[in-house]
Amino acid sequence: MISDIFTMSLDALRSRKIRTFLTLLGVIIGTGSVIIVATAGNSLKVYIKEQWNFFDPTGIIIGVGTNSKPPQITFTEKVFTDADVKKIEGLPHIKGVAPVGIIAFKKVMMKEGFLKWQTKQGGTMWASTPELLKVLDLKLVSGEIFHEGKNEVLISEGTAQMFGKDTSLSVGDTLYVQQITGRILKAKIVGIYNSSSESNILSKLTVPAMIGPVDPYYTTFFGSNVGGLLRKVTAYTILYAAAVDTESVNKAQVEILEYLNGASDANKYKDEKTDFVFITQEYIQERIEQILSVVNMFITAIAVVSLIVGGIGIANIMFATVTERTREIGTMMAIGAKRRIIMQLFLYQSAIIGLLGGILGCIIGASGGAFIIQILGNYVQELGFSTSSAHLPLIYPMEWFVIATISGLLIGILAGVIPARKAAKMDPVVALRHE
Amino acid sequence: MTDEYAIEVRSVTKVYQSGKGEFRALHNVSLQIKKGEFVALMGRSGSGKSTLMNILGCLDRPSSGDVLLDRENLSRLTDGQLAEVRGKKIGFIFQTFNLVPTLNALKNVVLPMIFVGVPKASREHRALELLRRMGIENWATHLPSELSGGQQQRVSIARALSNNPTIILADEPTGNLDSKTGEKVMEFLSMINKEGKTILLVTHDPLLTRYTTRTIYLKDGEVSDRP
Repeated sequence: MISDIFTMSLDALRSRKIRTFLTLLGVIIGTGSVIIVATAGNSLKVYIKEQWNFFDPTGIIIGVGTNSKPPQITFTEKVFTDADVKKIEGLPHIKGVAPVGIIAFKKVMMKEGFLKWQTKQGGTMWASTPELLKVLDLKLVSGEIFHEGKNEVLISEGTAQMFGKDTSLSVGDTLYVQQITGRILKAKIVGIYNSSSESNILSKLTVPAMIGPVDPYYTTFFGSNVGGLLRKVTAYTILYAAAVDTESVNKAQVEILEYLNGASDANKYKDEKTDFVFITQEYIQERIEQILSVVNMFITAIAVVSLIVGGIGIANIMFATVTERTREIGTMMAIGAKRRIIMQLFLYQSAIIGLLGGILGCIIGASGGAFIIQILGNYVQELGFSTSSAHLPLIYPMEWFVIATISGLLIGILAGVIPARKAAKMDPVVALRHE
Repeated sequence: MTDEYAIEVRSVTKVYQSGKGEFRALHNVSLQIKKGEFVALMGRSGSGKSTLMNILGCLDRPSSGDVLLDRENLSRLTDGQLAEVRGKKIGFIFQTFNLVPTLNALKNVVLPMIFVGVPKASREHRALELLRRMGIENWATHLPSELSGGQQQRVSIARALSNNPTIILADEPTGNLDSKTGEKVMEFLSMINKEGKTILLVTHDPLLTRYTTRTIYLKDGEVSDRP
């Protein structure tokens, strides 16, 4: 019986192909767009998560800034001293610490021939110790480590291309860097390190363009009268620490914070209004989740709106169909159809449209999603991450396919209820008189 | 022919409430139709014959009085039970054929059998048999829109017969047909009457009474023996 009514509903839909198709289209566009956005969001999610894996899970970036949500490192305050580095290195859960002084240049130059220079405006160097390579997990692809007190620098593979691919820099070349004060310093390239993670969103924090020794490049000294005598002190912008293992990151962080908030030099030098700020993988993951929750909200909003629009479309057409078939409804009642059957007849039609629309929307959304990912992928490459081997993956969000299909069915049923009730409640005498 | 009544109407009155007053469509109507009769119900428009037809067809309820179909009193039945009675005991034939346009001839004949729950295996067989009796078995897979008026009316006769009802209510079955096709349809009705089927024919065409065994006249909501 039910299967007979279902077949009749199918027959009714089939006999009005254009109308059925147009109603379907509303649902297809709705669910399709949800699948496209969800696919793009999901692929980006996976991509971003992969990117973050470059960040050493034992790593802790320590800076000064505001512990807002999310915390911000200012990069302008220089407060950490060599004494702080020594003390932190001695903490029980710390494997190593590298101080970083960030130096901004006016320009970077290279002699190309007699009185002929290649110039690049701007540029930064991290003044640090060889320990930094270990903490940041950077590997030398050629050359060797720099020496303290010498005009030697390491550059990333990306930086090696800074004057173009034709004039790529190699070990032994000499650069000239002009500091903000105007002073020009020689910088001999002694090594090049890998920058496979340069496409990393955190690359600003994890892959410096250039690394050099504190002496002679880092000149942020300031007077300190600690202990009664005026001394010159070197102070750094940020510290890179590594915990002994992944499990001890939190413990290490607590230890560092305890030390810093106590009798540390950093505590004396920093602005009272600022806090010590830590960035760890956990923090990064929280940030990602934050960003992705916005994406999810966006998808949900689209889903809700498009399904409502699709549902209104179905309801609209079902009302028209019921009105149009009034006499037919009267006839069916006259030849023995109970109200329940009339109800089913129309409810099945709207349910079929909803379900079919949901399924077709998934199929079209899947191919549309693949297309969008291709375009986004190209865009990501063009953004200048060409050295990156990572490309945007196409990862389908299976749960959204299920949600879209079920929602299509539900919206079809919901949209059909009122028109179907209208049909079932008709007075057969009036319905039979209907022109 | 037995003396058993197919339908018995006992002082049925139907009053319609309209905006300002009430309109008495049927007034104290009583009549009986025996099994095997072919009765013509005649009356002008406004005489109340449509109202009587709707009440006899279980589509409407009387304001007072009783209708007995096959000795069963219809007054106390629920909507659902009335639908069941319509499916099992009444066969409708309409002036405008009223076939379901999305279903082919065979499926239209099968439809009432679906509603009363006849098993799938036997109903197509029966539908085909009925179409054959109406001489249109070759049109079984055609949609109503592909059939002529006469053919459509023959499909609807087959449909009316599908559940072997107690009575067939034919409401102006020739009204939308030319006289020749109309005669053909009347011959089919006459044929099934001779096979034993009780038929109530509603018409205002006196010429059709030559096919019927008895005529009931309705005038201003009351039954009379003469026009």
